[in-house]
Amino acid sequence: MRIAVCIKRVADSETRVKVAGDGRSLDDAGVKFILNPYDEFAVEEALQRKEKAGAGEVAVLALGGPAAQETIRTALAMGADRGILLQTDAVPADGFVTAQAIAQELKAGGPWDLVLFGKLAIDDYNAQVGPMVAELLDLPCVTAVSHLTIEGSAVTAEREIEGAVEVVQCSLPAVLTTDKGVNEPRYPALKGIMAAKKKPLEVKPVTLGGGSIEVLEMAPPPARKDGKIVGEGAAAVPELVRLLREEAKVL
Amino acid sequence: MKPSEHQAPLPLDRLILETGTAGAGDTMELDVCIVGGGPAGLACAIELARLGKAAGTELAIGVLEKAEALGEHNLSGAVVNPRALRELFPDLRDSDFPFRRPVEKEAVYLLTSGSQIRMPTPPTMQNHGNYIASICEIVRWLGAKAEELGVNVFTGFPAASLLVDGQKVAGVRTQAAGLDRDGKPTASYAAPNDLTARVTALAEGTRGTLSQAYLQWQGVGSENPQIFALGVKEIWETKKPLDQIIHTLGWPLPGDAFGGSFCYPLESNLVALGIVVGLDYSEADLDVHVLLQRLKLHPLFRPYLEGGELVEWGAKTIPEGGYYALPARRSGDGVVILGDSAGFVDVPSLKGIHYALQSGIYAARAIFRALEAGEPTGERLAEYDRMVDGSYLASDLKKTRNMRLAFKDGFYVGGVKAGLMTLTGGKLFGGKIAVHSDAEAERTTTHSGATPGLRPGLDQLVVSKVDAVFKSGNATRDTIPSHLIVGKDITKEVADFYSHVCPAGVYEQVDGRLRVNAPNCVDCKATDVLGPRWTPREGGSGPRYKRM
Amino acid sequence: MSTVLAVCEQRDGALRKVSAEVVTGARRIADGLGAEVEAIVLGAGPASGAESLGGFGADRVVTLTADAFATYAPEGFAAAVAERARGGAVAVVCAASAQGKDLAPRVAAKLGTALAAEVTDVSVDGGALIAIRPVYAGKALLRVKLTGTPAVLSLRPNVFTPVQRPKAGAAQTVAVAASAGRVRVTATKAAEAGALDVAEAPIVISGGRGLKEPANFKILEELAHAFGGRAAVGASRAVVDAGWRPHADQVGQTGKTVSPTLYVAVGISGAIQHLAGMRTSKVIVAINKDKDAPIFKVADYGVVGDLFEIVPALTAAVKSHA
Repeated sequence: MRIAVCIKRVADSETRVKVAGDGRSLDDAGVKFILNPYDEFAVEEALQRKEKAGAGEVAVLALGGPAAQETIRTALAMGADRGILLQTDAVPADGFVTAQAIAQELKAGGPWDLVLFGKLAIDDYNAQVGPMVAELLDLPCVTAVSHLTIEGSAVTAEREIEGAVEVVQCSLPAVLTTDKGVNEPRYPALKGIMAAKKKPLEVKPVTLGGGSIEVLEMAPPPARKDGKIVGEGAAAVPELVRLLREEAKVL
Repeated sequence: MKPSEHQAPLPLDRLILETGTAGAGDTMELDVCIVGGGPAGLACAIELARLGKAAGTELAIGVLEKAEALGEHNLSGAVVNPRALRELFPDLRDSDFPFRRPVEKEAVYLLTSGSQIRMPTPPTMQNHGNYIASICEIVRWLGAKAEELGVNVFTGFPAASLLVDGQKVAGVRTQAAGLDRDGKPTASYAAPNDLTARVTALAEGTRGTLSQAYLQWQGVGSENPQIFALGVKEIWETKKPLDQIIHTLGWPLPGDAFGGSFCYPLESNLVALGIVVGLDYSEADLDVHVLLQRLKLHPLFRPYLEGGELVEWGAKTIPEGGYYALPARRSGDGVVILGDSAGFVDVPSLKGIHYALQSGIYAARAIFRALEAGEPTGERLAEYDRMVDGSYLASDLKKTRNMRLAFKDGFYVGGVKAGLMTLTGGKLFGGKIAVHSDAEAERTTTHSGATPGLRPGLDQLVVSKVDAVFKSGNATRDTIPSHLIVGKDITKEVADFYSHVCPAGVYEQVDGRLRVNAPNCVDCKATDVLGPRWTPREGGSGPRYKRM
Repeated sequence: MSTVLAVCEQRDGALRKVSAEVVTGARRIADGLGAEVEAIVLGAGPASGAESLGGFGADRVVTLTADAFATYAPEGFAAAVAERARGGAVAVVCAASAQGKDLAPRVAAKLGTALAAEVTDVSVDGGALIAIRPVYAGKALLRVKLTGTPAVLSLRPNVFTPVQRPKAGAAQTVAVAASAGRVRVTATKAAEAGALDVAEAPIVISGGRGLKEPANFKILEELAHAFGGRAAVGASRAVVDAGWRPHADQVGQTGKTVSPTLYVAVGISGAIQHLAGMRTSKVIVAINKDKDAPIFKVADYGVVGDLFEIVPALTAAVKSHA
């Protein structure tokens, strides 16, 4: 089974966000970078599918700067067979540009039985590259898969929608984006960490188009206003609900 | 109340295992296994890798680090003496090292509750030629150098037991991961690994568990027991710039407690501030975290912190016993003990990092020669001890051998003694001052109000333990099994004592009983010194220091 | 005149509430660009509630019908929306709902253009379409200019409060030749009770020692239920350690952050681990009988009093507004 997993190097979720001097990006001094947590589910799923099939390969693909090689090595340490870094200075703000570069590489390296992505990256929350790549490769795609069964080439996936679970079916080859719940990612084993150093990691510089999203500014959200005591007892509830609806807009 | 009467012993039956004991998943063979990815461990790895390369020998070197990433469990002031780094990297200049800035101006103050008295800087605390640095940044930099040289750095792998072959150390077994609160495997269970090695270097830092186990198992003593101080530290982004390093003595420590505070600017507006207190204090309700919170409100510090933001918090113990607390030997069949685990810290100058680095360098040389000669026996590895004993490391510690110990008679008497010691280069009060271990010191509850508790919301600058733990980056899995071994007869008084000892709020006294919030633990080891014994837990647990 | 497409959403034959938000957002863009708003609804037949879209600013409401559209058909929907957009749309606006998050990227890729996802604010500045979107889990906001034509956006739910801006709302039905495509929704099951994870739920209602005993958590479960499957019940560490609630429900021990849109702390003093873990919630409501409880310093809205009276009253109020 030939499986490709697309991963991203992202700032750790506990990062204290400071804006860089350019006013548009993250100041990465002291920031810890990790494999995108949703991509861990994708890597684990790929490894399990290959193990179930008994044969095949799992290739890991990332788009990013040179440091993304470390992230690929993490996936290799988990058990992936080889890695490809599409090396670029800046990860585009336009997810479609990323998708085009990834789709081109996957086309060149295909055909694939299964292409996996995490459902979103925890830095930009774009949640789009996976399904966009599927469009460009003209492959069926199911997003945010929280439960997966594959029998032969029949895919049955579950995904969470508001207050319910959707059951979706398609056939391989397909693109799936993974959500929490689909599996429990393994810890890289010691031997895996050592072996990862020797596995092939190809670095391919890419030149990307401009795209159609221009970042004007990144700024911290407005400061939290001082809270207020709305009232006392059950009598305060109508006013509370009104404020939650009209002022806070959470209802 | 004597803390030692309530402590559990070291669980040697778990910490020392015969090779071949069942329970391991994978096995890996190395030439040298280094436990601990701090300055000592990484310096050892780097020097060893270089010696190997120069001799055309391919050495399999593995560094095991319990934190998820290098640097995350390291904490220090710090003002660093560059000499050991210069020796480790003779081709680099000081400007290549991961230091923040050279020490320019410095001041020492004696604090009272409302003011400060400038004191002449004691000769032991002269820092000209030294650099302000973050130990986390140093460790990450060393880690990159080590990996360039082919060293295998395994982060997220705590060493839980020593593997032994008779009297010889044969390697280590790592801690399992993915257990639930009752110790049962979950879906993400990862079995322990056995790493066998010809030499195991224990560089676990302060109050190293395997180091203690080895020394106890082998009956290796020292003239004095090791004693410890607890340091609690914060990093603040400040509005008002600071351009000098500050040390203080006196308030808010009670008169009979040894310690002081430090304040170092990593950048003009990024300030490291901490308080260090010897753990042999007599008041049962002394709380070092609380003392730091009070310190921040002092007129000397408040103006810097006002309007600023707390960015990190952490805590760690420091071995303070000095020369007389060094183990009689720090080497044996198949093993060497480095850095803070051996006690290479000089309290009067507040230095330990360059000694740790230096010990790593010496250990590497001794290990390399022993491996070349054949069997790395205790005799051969004893060359490491000889190198240390013949170097500035030992002579520095010898000069100040009684300085800390003099303070057991109280701050002011101690101060006079210490001053005289310095003036006479150690000749006066040179005879060994005997001390007992911290756990043997009696504690009394005086309710003198010397350390009033913290009320959340007391002041913008004050942070509660719970919020502090959050700022240490601790995101330990809540369902992890407890790694702390509670002793016996834990009365309400003892539980209260523990709740003050621990800076991270692991212990609480609830309805007369002890409640243990093990996931809060930031691995400072104060608990191991005075209370429940600390054991290694799942890799990646604990704090995630960034620039501490 | 050019068009801004507002892609509405229906379930079981009725328009979902988020559709009004999408039309509101589309109207704002259309006003800035001098365009018309065309609301589109996809389904096997007409959806009830579609006639209200005119009130929120839709110049036209077009129902695209096909048998295959009886349930969400990702490929069929994407093809139909893209096709519609090719007929002169300057912008395509979806909701960043579960369906929208699946649909919008497909549409953008078909149109060969960018998708600005989970937008919380949108404006037109000198003819340029500007959007604000949260990044780094809401710790920063990105202001971006969309330069593609059409511009494709998805709007974060519960942000674009529907505004009455009555327009013609002329209804049309267009039969579309569409197959379901290769990806078929074959069933919809109810979510498992309690399946919503505290770390991911948009609404978290946490209880502390003030609840007095485990059985009383029932009143929080009832409040959670009133929010219709979007709320999870959390618990303070004290209550989990006492065995009242499972570990999985615990909020805010050693640095675990939950960041829901709405966090309701019931009977929690805030003096313990809890505060650290929930501070980045968008809106915090505290209910406690002690007016000096530290939680009130962190909360946006506080109600002082007996939680056993306040919580049921809140449940009733939420239910009646649902």
